[in-house]
Amino acid sequence: MITIKHEGCILCVGCSSVCPVNAIEVIGTRMQHFPEKCIDCGICVRACPANVIRLYKGVKDPKDLPAKR
Amino acid sequence: MEYDHDAIVIGGGPAGSTFARIAAGAGLDVLVIDKRREIGVPVRCGEGLGEGEVIKKGLDLPRQCYSTPVLGAKVIAPNGKSITWKNKDTRGWVLERKCFDKWLAELAVAKGAKVHTYTRATEVLKDAKGKPNGLKIAHGGREPYEVRAPLIVSAEGMESMMARQMGFKTVHQLYDVDTCYQYEMKPYDHENLIELYFGNKIAPRGYVWIFPKADRKANVGIGIGGNVTNGEKNGMKGADPKALLESYIEGNSQLRDASTLLDFGGVISVGAPISEFVKDNCMVIGTAAKQVDPIHGGGIAIAMETGILAGNAAVEALKKKDLSRDFLYKSYEVPWRAGLGKDLEKKLALRKVMENLGDDDMNHIFGVLNDNDLKDVMDGRFAAVVAKIVAGRPQLVGALKALLG
Repeated sequence: MITIKHEGCILCVGCSSVCPVNAIEVIGTRMQHFPEKCIDCGICVRACPANVIRLYKGVKDPKDLPAKR
Repeated sequence: MEYDHDAIVIGGGPAGSTFARIAAGAGLDVLVIDKRREIGVPVRCGEGLGEGEVIKKGLDLPRQCYSTPVLGAKVIAPNGKSITWKNKDTRGWVLERKCFDKWLAELAVAKGAKVHTYTRATEVLKDAKGKPNGLKIAHGGREPYEVRAPLIVSAEGMESMMARQMGFKTVHQLYDVDTCYQYEMKPYDHENLIELYFGNKIAPRGYVWIFPKADRKANVGIGIGGNVTNGEKNGMKGADPKALLESYIEGNSQLRDASTLLDFGGVISVGAPISEFVKDNCMVIGTAAKQVDPIHGGGIAIAMETGILAGNAAVEALKKKDLSRDFLYKSYEVPWRAGLGKDLEKKLALRKVMENLGDDDMNHIFGVLNDNDLKDVMDGRFAAVVAKIVAGRPQLVGALKALLG
């Protein structure tokens, strides 16, 4: 799965436009990630112009993210 | 089936609003939904538009919709040599996108279309045969509800989530996008020219642009290939346009000390249009269909032209009560591909040639070409220009031969 640092996100939706599995969508005024759909490809990380996305390979559930991020 | 509208358009940008204006103007009941709280916001665009592109569509751009007129363009080689291209055909504007998009939406409303902001489509509704016949939509995070129409139009821009649900292959590949970052800056003393700076160090597979705006302001931005790996991106290699933009600004004596008034960025399509624009009871228009100029990623003019073409096709289809794929294909997709599509194919070939040029090649090319040659290139007439280039640098024959065909 990925994490998005929302305070740096410019809501350009670039990540959702390149996501091959529709795992990121803008909802209201923030980007929302759906970890259950994510395939850990990292394409969104590479495309993000604001550099606010981080890939956590193999993590499927937000509660398994490292405490210190 | 009881329908609420004749057509529902997803997205109130230039494509959706133009479609709605044309279709509502011919008497159709059109609903436009836009998930943003305000039409035109956030801006994520360089905001350039050619004058002819509006005038030939019979529209008169109100003063508040543009920041400043543009006289032409200046392209700058890696070694600093520039070509200025300025004549009556190169005039245009740098828009205030927020006002411009709202103006286009208001024109649609004036023709009878209904526009709803902060309204998000969550699901495409389909009949027993799988043909779209409505949308589930939600306003401002409230409970979703159903609206029905025999025609669903995706004008969603880059994300195109509903188009994906309708079966269109709209996912973008990294190779076919540019990732961009831009500041609105002040003060910058410009000459009302669009400035484009080329070079593999400045902007790999792309360029830095400076678009003039009123009151000594400018949009200073960069677009680089989505597959570029210049940056460290939270543990991965990837494209980092912002870092390159910062270093460009640092090296520009005027901009180094200028203020930034707005940050924006985005990912733009610079690839080919999607493989099909229509299916039974639905169509995709504008950037959602990747109908974008692959050289500069601009889509406003194309979106407006497509909105007119698709709007008229919808009017015809509803009059004949034939919303089949075949009818929409004949009336919208075929003429689009024969017209706009042909121009964009040439631009795509040009983009692919340009991305293989080194800085020395670009310096040579900018050294031998003049403004008339640039016009030929942008109009898709490559032969004479290629001959001129390879005369002094025969090793470029291989790289440029894709343009002769």
